[in-house]
Amino acid sequence: MSAVEGGPASGGLPPNKVIAIGVIGGLAGIYLTMLNQTFNTTIFSVMGGIGSIFAVVWGADAVRRVCSYGLGTGVPSIGMVALGMGIVAAIFGLILPETGILQIPAILGPVISFIVAALIGLVIGLLSNKILNMNIPIMEKSMIEIAGAGCLVMMGLSASIAGSFAFNDAILPSVVSTGYIALVFIGGAMTILHPFNANLGPDESQYRTLYVAVEKAAIIMVIAGFASLTAIDAVSAALTMLVGLLIFLVYFNKFMKSVHREAYKVVGTGLLPSAEELE
Amino acid sequence: MIDLISIALITLGGVLIGLGVHFIPVGGAPAAMAQATGVGTGTVQLAAGAGLTGLISAGFMYNFLATSGSFTTSDFILVLASGAVGAMIMITVTMFIGQLVYVYCVGVPPVSAKVDVDPITGDRQDIYVSKGTEGHGVPTVSFVSGTIGALFGGMGGSLVYVQLMQIGNAPSDPAIVALAGIFATGVFYVNAVLASYNIGGTIEGFHDPKFKRVPKAIISCLVASLLCAIIAVPIMGGVS
Repeated sequence: MSAVEGGPASGGLPPNKVIAIGVIGGLAGIYLTMLNQTFNTTIFSVMGGIGSIFAVVWGADAVRRVCSYGLGTGVPSIGMVALGMGIVAAIFGLILPETGILQIPAILGPVISFIVAALIGLVIGLLSNKILNMNIPIMEKSMIEIAGAGCLVMMGLSASIAGSFAFNDAILPSVVSTGYIALVFIGGAMTILHPFNANLGPDESQYRTLYVAVEKAAIIMVIAGFASLTAIDAVSAALTMLVGLLIFLVYFNKFMKSVHREAYKVVGTGLLPSAEELE
Repeated sequence: MIDLISIALITLGGVLIGLGVHFIPVGGAPAAMAQATGVGTGTVQLAAGAGLTGLISAGFMYNFLATSGSFTTSDFILVLASGAVGAMIMITVTMFIGQLVYVYCVGVPPVSAKVDVDPITGDRQDIYVSKGTEGHGVPTVSFVSGTIGALFGGMGGSLVYVQLMQIGNAPSDPAIVALAGIFATGVFYVNAVLASYNIGGTIEGFHDPKFKRVPKAIISCLVASLLCAIIAVPIMGGVS
C-alpha cells in the first residue's frame, strides 16, 4: 500500500529541471492553443494535449519525490487530491477574468489558475505537516507542485478538447456541459498518480517512472482527442489522437525496453494449466 | 456579493466529509490479505465511492424537487437525507459483500484487534484474532461505525452540492449541474484525503484509538474547505 518507507528519492533529472519543464511546457502548451484564434482554425488544439504531457511529467515526478517518504495511505490519494485542488483552481482562474468582478485581461486566466492552485497546495501542505503531523520535510513544496501540475493538466486537456481556454465561449459548452470534465478529472488524476504507483519499489528509477507518465498522458490525450470530435472539427480531433497515439507507442516501447533491460529475467508463463495437466 | 451563509454551509459540508471518513472501517492493503480489520482498500477509494453515490442520489432528489417549482427548507433537508441514504447503502453493500468474501472465501472470523469486547454486541474479540494479524473482516461495531460514517460523508457531499446549485440558481442547466458536481467532487477528495492522512491510512471505526485524532482533522478540513468555498462561491455566482 504505502511506498518504500524512508528517505528522499534520488537519481535522474534534478527536481528543479523537471519543475521548469513542467511549468514552461505546460503553460506554453495552453497558450499555444491561442494560435487557433489567430489563424481562425482549430488545428492547434493538439498543443493543449502536448502541454498536459509536460505537466503530467512534472506532477508524476513530484508524486515520486513525496511518496518515497511513505504516506501511509497509498499513492492514489495524492493524485486525487492534486486534481481536486487543481480543478477548483483551474476553473476559478479561467472564469475570474470573465465574471467582471476584477478587471483582468482574459489572457491571464491560466496564470491566475496556476497561482491559486499553488496557494491551495501550500495551505494543504501546511495543514498536513503542521496540524496532522505527517512530518514529511518536502510536503509543502510537493503539495504546491502537485496542485500546480494538476491544474495545468486539467487546463491543457480542457483546452485540447475545446480548442481554446476561454471559459464561457469554449470550455463551458464543450467540456463542462458535455460532462467531459469528469473524464478530465479522473483521467488527469490517473496520469499523475499511476506512474509512481506502478513503478514503486526498491529498484524504482526516475526515467522508468517518467516513461510511464508520458505514456499515460498520451493515452489521455488520445481520449481527449476523441472527446473533441463533438466539440471541434474532425481533422483537429484526428490530429490530437494521432499525435497522442504516436507518443504513446514511442514511450511504451521505451518503457518496455527499460523493463527488459533492468529485470533479472523476463519469462513468459503461458496460460493457466488445465485440470488434466495438473494431475 | 460575498455570500457568507453559502461559504459557511459549504465549509460545514467539507468538515462533515472529513468527520465521516474517520468512521469508515478502512483496512488498506493488509485488509486485502485479511490481516487487518476493515474493507481491503484505501480510505479515499471507500469514502469517494460512498460520497459519489451520495452525490448521485442527492442530485436525483434535487433535480426532482427543484425543477418542479420552489425549493423550500424541508426540500433542502430531504435532499441531504437522500444523499446520506445513498452513501449509506453503498458503504453497507460494500462491507456486506466484503464480509461474505472474508468469511466464506478467505475463511476468517470477523474480529477487531483494537478492543477485547465488541462495544455493541459484547462478544469476545481478542481470542479470535489470528497470531501476527490486526484482526479480520468487518465486526459488528465496525459495520455500524461505517454506516454512521457514510451518513456524515453523504450528507456533507450533498450539502456542498446543493448549496452550489442554489447559488447557480438554474437546476436544469447542464453547465451548472456539471460545475456544481465537479466542485463537490473536488471538495470531497480534498477533505477525504486530509482525513485519511490524519488516520494514517487505516482505522477500524469509532472504537479505534486513532479516532481520538478527530479534532485535528476537523481543524484541517475547516481551513481547507473554507478556502475551497471562498473560491467556489463567486464562480457559481459568475456563471449564472
